[in-house]
Amino acid sequence: MTQKLLEIKDLYAGVAESGKEIIKGLNLTINAGETHAVMGPNGAGKSTLSYVLTGKPDYVVTGGSMRFAEHDLTALKPEERAALGIFLSMQAPVEIPGVTTQNFLKHAINAQRKYNNLPELDAAEFLKLLRSAAKNFDISSEMLKREINVGFSGGEKKRLEILQLSLLQPKLAILDEADSGLDIDALKIVSQGVNQWHTKENSLLIITHHLDLLRQIKPDFVHIYADGKIIKTGDMALAEELETSGYKNYLDAAK
Amino acid sequence: MNLNVDGENIYGADIPWLYALRKKARDAFVKNGLPTAKTEAWKYSYLPSGILDEFTIAAEPHHCDGHCHEKESLPFDCRQIKFCNGSLEHIAHDLPRGVMIMPLIEAVENAEIKPYLNKSFAVGEFPFADLNTALAEQGLFIVIGKETELQEPIYIHYHQHEGAPKLNNIRNVIVLEKGAKATIIEDFDAKEDAHYFNNIVNEIYVGTDAFLQHYTRQNEAAEARHVALNSVAVKAGGQYRDFVVHNECLYARSESYVCLKQENASAEINGAYRLQNSGHSDITSNIRHLAPHTFSDQLVKGVLDGKAHGVFQGQIHIAPNAQQTEGRQLHRALVLSDGAEVDCKPELEIFADDVKCSHGSTCGDLDAEQLFYMQSRGIALDDARQILIAAYLNEVFGKIEDVAVAEWLKSIF
Repeated sequence: MTQKLLEIKDLYAGVAESGKEIIKGLNLTINAGETHAVMGPNGAGKSTLSYVLTGKPDYVVTGGSMRFAEHDLTALKPEERAALGIFLSMQAPVEIPGVTTQNFLKHAINAQRKYNNLPELDAAEFLKLLRSAAKNFDISSEMLKREINVGFSGGEKKRLEILQLSLLQPKLAILDEADSGLDIDALKIVSQGVNQWHTKENSLLIITHHLDLLRQIKPDFVHIYADGKIIKTGDMALAEELETSGYKNYLDAAK
Repeated sequence: MNLNVDGENIYGADIPWLYALRKKARDAFVKNGLPTAKTEAWKYSYLPSGILDEFTIAAEPHHCDGHCHEKESLPFDCRQIKFCNGSLEHIAHDLPRGVMIMPLIEAVENAEIKPYLNKSFAVGEFPFADLNTALAEQGLFIVIGKETELQEPIYIHYHQHEGAPKLNNIRNVIVLEKGAKATIIEDFDAKEDAHYFNNIVNEIYVGTDAFLQHYTRQNEAAEARHVALNSVAVKAGGQYRDFVVHNECLYARSESYVCLKQENASAEINGAYRLQNSGHSDITSNIRHLAPHTFSDQLVKGVLDGKAHGVFQGQIHIAPNAQQTEGRQLHRALVLSDGAEVDCKPELEIFADDVKCSHGSTCGDLDAEQLFYMQSRGIALDDARQILIAAYLNEVFGKIEDVAVAEWLKSIF
């Protein structure tokens, strides 16, 4: 029997400061093991969806519900959502001067372990785990000693996001434009990393408007997202069709 | 307060040059009074006019069961000196060749200190320094002889325990002769409930090609007041490197007056402060480039919360002949609450045309994007804030080469 992991019902959400509504009646269910892709024109609010799911304070939910593995997400802080297993690979990973990548990762892993009542990793255990994972993503120990994301190239940033995915082992990974700024080799490393992590128990939500990553990761469902909701759901064939004919037909039909 | 420097029983009355100096300083202090809101250099940090009446300058016997003479356990090797309640209680012995440390009171007796005492600044320039000159009986005269490299730092511990509210006037004169090299660490602390006013003046003479590394850790009691002046004169090729750390107390002001007097003299004046409640911290500097090819660099970073008040005043003065000099200065503050306040006054005074100068001051809160990025990885908001604050300060602590000292300085935050 399929197990519901994420269930979004009639969700309304917008910008906290201005009150501007961006998500307008969104419905989406993701079962364990599934891969969903959300595609849509620029400015449709795709990234907003990822931020609302992870609890970024700039956004506020005004209606509907979001449930994740039996938890009401709206009641949880971002760090609680992360520790329960939601991971967001950001379109523009944030630079934090003064904090080394290695230290950041240790804080993150141990914070999540603590939340889940697991013993924290000591320095040696952590380093062993980190080194073996870093190797898979062509991340050098020199890079781990640098301040996180500071001066990293686009490809380095994305590889580091996927390293975090593999270290933190979430139940749901949201990849927001994980393919932007990647060359073919980096794309391969990222998609292999995602595929390695991906099992029957965990799920993926890919936000993109390129086909490159989808061809490597092969979604079960492809959704067209426009004006704050899903207007069409299909499979990979829908994504291929969008590449040739664009969003226009679907946007017109939705009006 | 009794500002009398006359009379037979008064210290220094029988040494004519000292008597004349003290009297001049006393007269200047009486004439000028304490700085007020109208005194430009003190407008953000003036003290109430009757402040000194709260304190006594009389030395009193103290009962610390010999703790005065116990060595501090520190994460670095050093030669330890201790002042307790403003009195010199322990002085370093068995010094290497070329190094001399003696109490101020002895140094004035045989006039060795005369060419240095109150020679790095003029009477009338710094009100609390005048008060110090008029009253200081306690202090050190330290001379690092020609080409002498002192490996172990000199650690000067100023400790205050309970007793009557006390004004401590301590005067140190530190001389590095040509090619000498030394590290001096000053450490101020106290019993938790001690009520006192430290008025410290260091006159520092960095000779030709000499190098002084100076650290000050101000970890005074919550109710303490602390005013310190480092008046520094640097000769050709000499280097003065200073790092001051302010923890929170009622009132603290550290002022650096640095004269780069000859070619290739340089100064690096860095600092950090961390205030959480309603304390006042003032870091003021005046770096005077008086010769060509002189160099100065300054970075001060602060973190303020609650209703704390931070002050940064930085002046870089470049004299008309001081061509091809370079002066850099930056103050940055992290203001975490609406009640906290920072006043900044950077000033450039440039009379030469071929110079490189920069200064700046920024204030801001923690970066919301950075906080969310950390939270999205499972790090609790409070922990994320602490990590970012530490990271913010790491930029300035990272300038300290000696990692053990850097960690020790940081440990009071």
